[in-house]
Amino acid sequence: MPIIFGSITPDLKIVMSALPDLLMAMLKFTIPLALISFAIGLVIAILTALIKFLKPSENIFIKVPWNCLKAFANFYVWLFRSTPLLVQLFLIFFGLPSLNIQIPAFIAAVIGFSLNLGAYASETIKSALLSVPQDQWDAAYTLGFSTRQILIKIILPQATRIVLPPLSNEFIGLVKDTSLASTITIMEMFQLSQQMTSTNYKPLLMYSLVALLYAFLCSLLSLLQKYLEKRSSKFLNGGNN
Amino acid sequence: MIEMNNIQKSYGKQKVLNDINVKFPKGETTVIIGPSGSGKSTLLRSIDLLVRPDSGIIKFPDLEVDYSNPISKQKRSNLINKTSMVFQNWNLFPHLNVIDNITIAPINVQKVKKDVAIKKAYDLLRKVDLESYANRYPSELSGGQQQRISICRALAVQPEYILLDEPTSALDPELESQVLKLLKELGEQKQSIIMITHNMDFAKSAADNILFIEDGKVQFQGKKDEFFNNPNERIKEFLNGISII
Ligand SMILES: Nc1ncnc2c1ncn2[C@@H]1O[C@H](COP(=O)(O)OP(=O)(O)OP(=O)(O)O)[C@@H](O)[C@H]1O
Ligand SMILES: [Mg+2]
Repeated sequence: MPIIFGSITPDLKIVMSALPDLLMAMLKFTIPLALISFAIGLVIAILTALIKFLKPSENIFIKVPWNCLKAFANFYVWLFRSTPLLVQLFLIFFGLPSLNIQIPAFIAAVIGFSLNLGAYASETIKSALLSVPQDQWDAAYTLGFSTRQILIKIILPQATRIVLPPLSNEFIGLVKDTSLASTITIMEMFQLSQQMTSTNYKPLLMYSLVALLYAFLCSLLSLLQKYLEKRSSKFLNGGNN
Repeated sequence: MIEMNNIQKSYGKQKVLNDINVKFPKGETTVIIGPSGSGKSTLLRSIDLLVRPDSGIIKFPDLEVDYSNPISKQKRSNLINKTSMVFQNWNLFPHLNVIDNITIAPINVQKVKKDVAIKKAYDLLRKVDLESYANRYPSELSGGQQQRISICRALAVQPEYILLDEPTSALDPELESQVLKLLKELGEQKQSIIMITHNMDFAKSAADNILFIEDGKVQFQGKKDEFFNNPNERIKEFLNGISII
């Protein structure tokens, strides 16, 4: 007890001096990395999910290219789900230069994170699309809607409600995974805390602090998730909440 | 008049529709009956292309589609727009309120102006006595109310025929009679109706024609009176089989 007590004031000082820089690293790297990667990853995920989900028409000029796309999409998802994210980042940042492809660290990280998220989220989105019953398709077809209209007006709004919780989890996972960017020279929050530790020799304090900052960020996202879930499912109890 | 000729449909080795030739007169109510698994739904869904028969022809006075040939987009939508289906479990769009459920197709498919579509939707809601429910979501309605709304949704696209696949099988008797009364009224107003049902009272009171299907074949087609007053052996057997007295 006395030992911990005795160190509280100097510790507080360390925290107060570290906090602004850590917050800065969060704003400059952690958040942009997560947001940009999520946005790009989501686009990749939606496209991949649609390629896997939709059945091509019988027309051979549509069917053959579509099935090639499908095979590629399957390969992509398989590749990124069956290898560690850390290895993917290393391959992109340290591996590609051997092929004379030099990518700046931040962009390499965005590529790695968004491809990885895209692979996972595409499966989430696909199963959400599949979970809207065939009956809904039938009801829309009989009213004369085209497949595109059905997707946009009938299926996606219902799939959105289903996809929100797992997709939010994936986003929160991504926020935490940005700490891996430290391994490819990006000075994000975790990397900075490591550096600070090497000068102030306070690993417990520094890593607790950075853990708290991640927790804070993810809690904000959870709140946002709850809000979106409420909004997207208001039809289930008639918009009374 | 809808005329369907030589309709064939198999699932694997099972022949579900075996050379069906039928007519559905315009402005009349035709009730399709038959044992479970006899192919009633398959036939009805073929009219709206929810099922694609292997071969056969469907004819309207101004449209003819051969199921065994590729169907162009234009023909497909012409055919689909002639009829509109009402389902056993109504299949309303859960994320849309009642008014949006009814107007979404007129606005987006027929390109009717929004205010016109809404006005027409209210006319339909008045017809089914559900005007005050316009802003509710389907999850807030009883089954019978949802089914009446889904009939409004089908009528809103102004199909020549409405097709109903056991529209009251999932309802308890009181709600069932609400829906059947509505359908009877529609029939009396010369709406063309093709309906699968196991409710013989409805068939007796509201049908003009009966189509009796068994094992993918037409066993009887003709006027209701002939069916009930002068049944052949097989019809007698079927009617006795589904009655409890
Ligand atoms: N998608 C499908 N794949 C395989 N078999 C099917 C399919 N749809 C229907 N069948 C089969 O076709 C036959 C006719 O089915 P259908 O749904 O038309 O019967 P039904 O007369 O409507 O019966 P019910 O009164 O029980 O609704 C059944 O034996 C059914 O198992
Ligand atoms: Mg059926």
